[in-house]
Amino acid sequence: MKQKTLEFLVSHKSETPSTFIEDAAWRQENEVWLKWSRKIAMKIVDYMQENGLSRSDIAAKLGVSPQYVSRILSGKTNFSFKSIAEIERKLGISCMEATMAL
Amino acid sequence: MRFVQIIPGYNHLWAVKEEEKETDELSLLFRQWSNFNYLLDFFFANLEDLKGFFHIEKVSDAINDTMEDAQELERLILDFPYTEQLDGLFHPLSLSDDRAHELTREKARNWGRRQHPSWLRIYAIRIEPNVYIVTGGAIKLTATMQEREHTQKELDKLNICRDYLKCNGVFDQDSFIDFFKED
Repeated sequence: MKQKTLEFLVSHKSETPSTFIEDAAWRQENEVWLKWSRKIAMKIVDYMQENGLSRSDIAAKLGVSPQYVSRILSGKTNFSFKSIAEIERKLGISCMEATMAL
Repeated sequence: MRFVQIIPGYNHLWAVKEEEKETDELSLLFRQWSNFNYLLDFFFANLEDLKGFFHIEKVSDAINDTMEDAQELERLILDFPYTEQLDGLFHPLSLSDDRAHELTREKARNWGRRQHPSWLRIYAIRIEPNVYIVTGGAIKLTATMQEREHTQKELDKLNICRDYLKCNGVFDQDSFIDFFKED
């Protein structure tokens, strides 16, 4: 790299370092369970799309707040078997079986 | 305008860091692409493009493809021997950038992806061979960046960064090639 370019970048360097490496390491370390969580969220999204429902509609069906639905749909929820069973019962869908089969 | 080095100790990849944003443009991009709620809203809002250009009907399929593709792209960037030769990862944004000029607007994509072509783009300014500054990126579902607001915004960010670098003498006037139309 040319000295002039490097000097420019260094003199314009942000005091806040990049979080890219740190973020990527977190995603890689948690990859397996995040994938499971994502699969459950995808089943709910399929249900939403098939029935033209919003997060609020899902919240009403589950008897929870829309914020809680956003958390479920973050793809980063560490679901308990009990909460999955509740989602399945209240929405009338199968999340776990299909997810395990994938 | 401020910049961050993406991989400590390596000067080949930098990103713009806006003061008001919590992190740099490259990190923000991968946070978005791994954020299920963000992708859900995005694909519901752009469902017609998804169906029209990629023939994908299910939003969950689009989310899954995005997350898998982002993961592969992230690994490409983290792969040191490869990223030190970033010219192999970034490709010219337009035909007019094919000539060997120092300043080009580039797009990075996961070129080896199977199934449908990748819609993930990382936009960067090439300041020297194998040296890039990431200005942002997008999920590009249409043929050109000008067609949608979210991609036009990324084009504007590329232009702002390029002009800033040019104003600060990082490039010679002659090394600049203007952008005509994206392929």
